[in-house]
Amino acid sequence: MRRALALYGGGLVLLVIGAFPLAWMLSTALKPSGEIFATPPTLVPKVVTLENFQRLFAETSFLTYFTNSVLVSLATVGLTLSVSSMGAYALTRFTFAGRERVAGLILMTYMFAPIMIIIPFYILVKQLGIVNTRLALVLSYTTFCLPFCLWLLRSFFHSIPLELEEAALVDGADLRRAVWYVVLPLALPGLIAAGIFTFILAWNDFLFALVLITSDELKTLPVGVNDLFNATIVDWGMIMAAGVMITVPTIAFFVAVQRYLIQGWGAGGVKG
Amino acid sequence: MNRHPLVGWLLLAPSLLLLGGLVLFPIVYNVWLSLHDKHAFMPVQAFVGLRHYVYFAQDAEFWSSVRYGVIYAGLTLVLQLLLGVSAALLLNEGFRGRNLLRGVVLFPYMIPTIVAVILWKWLLNDSYGLVNHLLLAGGLVRTPVAWLGKDHIMESLILTSVWQFFPFVVVTYLARLQTIAPELYEAAKVDGAGAWRRFRHITLPQTRNVLFVIVLLRSIFMFTKFDTVWLMAGEGGVSRYVRTLPVYAYARSFTYLQAGMGAALAVLMFLLLLAATAVYFRALRGDEAVA
Repeated sequence: MRRALALYGGGLVLLVIGAFPLAWMLSTALKPSGEIFATPPTLVPKVVTLENFQRLFAETSFLTYFTNSVLVSLATVGLTLSVSSMGAYALTRFTFAGRERVAGLILMTYMFAPIMIIIPFYILVKQLGIVNTRLALVLSYTTFCLPFCLWLLRSFFHSIPLELEEAALVDGADLRRAVWYVVLPLALPGLIAAGIFTFILAWNDFLFALVLITSDELKTLPVGVNDLFNATIVDWGMIMAAGVMITVPTIAFFVAVQRYLIQGWGAGGVKG
Repeated sequence: MNRHPLVGWLLLAPSLLLLGGLVLFPIVYNVWLSLHDKHAFMPVQAFVGLRHYVYFAQDAEFWSSVRYGVIYAGLTLVLQLLLGVSAALLLNEGFRGRNLLRGVVLFPYMIPTIVAVILWKWLLNDSYGLVNHLLLAGGLVRTPVAWLGKDHIMESLILTSVWQFFPFVVVTYLARLQTIAPELYEAAKVDGAGAWRRFRHITLPQTRNVLFVIVLLRSIFMFTKFDTVWLMAGEGGVSRYVRTLPVYAYARSFTYLQAGMGAALAVLMFLLLLAATAVYFRALRGDEAVA
């Protein structure tokens, strides 16, 4: 009995820590401005309104930022998965001199936080002539997701018996078809985990977007939403509405494939 | 069968090109930059040798940024560990709603930093924030506290960061907890060991290695954390009360436009981390349990 009480008490505390701040954000976003500043504050809005969301879409470039974030994140996921599954396949199914050393070197690049190389990175991107483009963001995110995704997929490919592939080859498939129809489907949990990790990194990034993007119409959500604080009077209802809009895709995505994600995390760790 | 080594290299080529061009090359270029006076936008540059390093050795702002960085990384690390390990132990027990809770606990870690920051700025708002309201209503303070003012900005930053990053500890620690053989606990229970002794003599030794890694990774991540710190305090005003090394490096490069100096700070950041990591490994090498 005492044990159950302790467990559920602890569970309740954890629930409040994890979910309450987000619930409060949603509640504020749904309140009319008068109620937002009321004392005492109301937990459940007395009047539910969407006016904060309407203002967000009508008076700011939120929709543009949102579109940019979606485009950049999806392009990053596509590019990262293609590049890293090719690389990880090479690291598991081909033998060549220096293979393990290359794998080690790739892991080493994982140790460098973006802030440590952002200055040369910026100068390089500028010299390549792609500063202030979405392409620059996609390339940055892909590069910083690669070490993790390569190692994650490598461990998944390792666990797929070579015999399955060989069987497909014996049956007359060429290597490309064997990989596409046999290896990749079996590595699907790994691909999903890598995809989620990549999406979240691209969706959440602030530093690269801050440094590499200057024009308003190319900004992604984190930088665009931070700009909302530059107004003379901070519109909390609208800002919380923006917070809800940014959070929903992440949480929806995450809930949909949670079990794959945990599996992937166990295999390789996370960064951030 | 077509498993020629050349095909392997070809498949690896895009990865190597990106990592080589956009990580390894910038690392080398960064060291080169740190030896030069370079404007962030203009092509002006001049070789200055180690002058930037000599400058920072005597720069009060550099040392204060190191101090803020150590305070921030140290305190957030300890609090993340306490909260994260307790939560993981709880979530390793069997009770109804456990799986749901395992998902909910991850939310703070999944949401973008910008959301975590605006959320806590709102909760901690001095006039309308829920935190001040509860403190006033509970009689714990007499006047509203300026949580985001210069006296409390570090505490608010630490609170926000711990909330945002403790789920990392939960996930990694829980993953290891689940692999401990239940027989170990059964045997201890037969011997009459209580919950604390079971934790102390079974759980802790079993999870030493994962704790070692968690402490290492989290310290590195927190010491190099830029976005949470920068978003929480901005560039002016109270920002100098939480100006950690990454923020200082950013300001040197992109506010003062001194790319060479910013690069030197990045190198110093790396060297500090390297030294700390070496000390950490050496200090724990004696324990044969730690790989």
